[in-house]
Amino acid sequence: MTALLESLSNELAAAVESGGRAVVAIHARRRIPASGVHWRSGVIVATNHTINRDDNITVTLPDGTNASVSLAGRDPSTDLAVLKLAGQNLATANLRLDPSPSVGEFVIALGRPGPRLTASWGVVSSVAGAWRTWQGAEIDSLLRLDLSIYDGFSGGPLIDATGRVLGINTSGLARGTPVTIPVATVERTVGELLERGAIRRAYLGIGTQPVRVPPSLARRLELTNPVGLLIASVEPGGPADRDGVLLGDVLLELGGAEVSDPTDVLVQLGGDRVGRPIAARVIRGGQVKTLEVTPGERPESRAA
Amino acid sequence: MTAPTTTGLARELAAAVDELRRVTVRVQASGAAASGAGVLWDPAGDDTRGLVITNAHVATRAQATIRLSDGAVVRARVVARDRKRDLAALELDLDLEPHTAAGFAHVRDAPPLRVGELVIAVGHPGDVSGAATLGIVHTVGGDRAGVTPQWVRADLPLAPGFSGGPLADASGRVIGINTMMHGGLALAVPVTVVESWLRRAQAPAAS
Repeated sequence: MTALLESLSNELAAAVESGGRAVVAIHARRRIPASGVHWRSGVIVATNHTINRDDNITVTLPDGTNASVSLAGRDPSTDLAVLKLAGQNLATANLRLDPSPSVGEFVIALGRPGPRLTASWGVVSSVAGAWRTWQGAEIDSLLRLDLSIYDGFSGGPLIDATGRVLGINTSGLARGTPVTIPVATVERTVGELLERGAIRRAYLGIGTQPVRVPPSLARRLELTNPVGLLIASVEPGGPADRDGVLLGDVLLELGGAEVSDPTDVLVQLGGDRVGRPIAARVIRGGQVKTLEVTPGERPESRAA
Repeated sequence: MTAPTTTGLARELAAAVDELRRVTVRVQASGAAASGAGVLWDPAGDDTRGLVITNAHVATRAQATIRLSDGAVVRARVVARDRKRDLAALELDLDLEPHTAAGFAHVRDAPPLRVGELVIAVGHPGDVSGAATLGIVHTVGGDRAGVTPQWVRADLPLAPGFSGGPLADASGRVIGINTMMHGGLALAVPVTVVESWLRRAQAPAAS
């Protein structure tokens, strides 16, 4: 008898079918299409890196028909994009905000890189806390999967054994390694993109690299943390340049927080910081000096 | 803790694999170094004349040695071979009845496959006999609507030595002949393709 095995098989197929009703193909690049999820009525979530144009974007719906969509906004820092779909009667994704995925839980990655739905299965291999992408976006939790991914899966959902969506999969955030952007992060980003069309982030216009302050100098300046950030580049005319940050300064603190890694700078540069002065403690000419810098609004595709 | 579902699943999976091993043979083409797998096939459905279905890239010669799951070794002759479909049929000079550890495959013609269904592959990688892997159906349907798809595509690992062996569903019914890995996916020749090919291959040649 194979009653349990058959039930498991049927339930997996049912989860794929149910989850797949909200999965569309996105045609916005050459070669193979990518995937997207009908997240809320008329709102499709896709990945930013698979959308190579702002106009002439179409989607293939689960019934095989094509429809035009318009780009409502995109955010390179979370690799998410939002598309608007009008006049279609399409199932919306069944989202699972709680409970968060557990290690060992069965999961399925769905994609629609063309008219046909595709699926791969595996388990959640680790769940960790919030992390920051290289462009500074905060992702609510780090989900690692034991699961194979295939061409065109980016923008597709990770679903649980009952077909509920746990997040959006992308290969565009961690050098090709698949990453799942959890539902909470997608919800937040979609809300902001629908409202503003872009995610507002503050920036200083500097490039930094960690350096160890020589022990004698660290002792003399009574530094608690011997590692600082060497200002390796200053964008001419950028916020840091305007406020007197110089090439060769070693940044110790920003907004009262010690910085010893470039991501520590990003943490201080949320969207609410635009136009609000922030204190920067630097070593310059062997002395500690405090500057006041006013972050500007980050143009697209700049890190810090 | 007790885990009745998982325990039951493990038991059923082991039983399904045992059942599949009965229909799986090792195929070694005469003089060839590598071997593959094959499926005991009963085209007439009356247990009269047995065939072994495998890949053309496994049955590379006119003759082959077949090893049944009970260890019995018999010689077989290739009666049909199609390199394009990567299929070959071999005729066994053997009555299966005394070999209780061997049997003909149950073929699934219907219902159609669903994406996400469990699939099981059995093969003989290297020196290992009757190895099994578990996966799901990756996608269904062909590249064009209305055209019989050329492959069953599964999210499942296959190693060399699985070629020519069975891909089966959760009830142990054969749905395809494992043929290759491509782009990380297992590709198997669907049983419908095998059956229509067999019918044509066995029809008297038009003169």
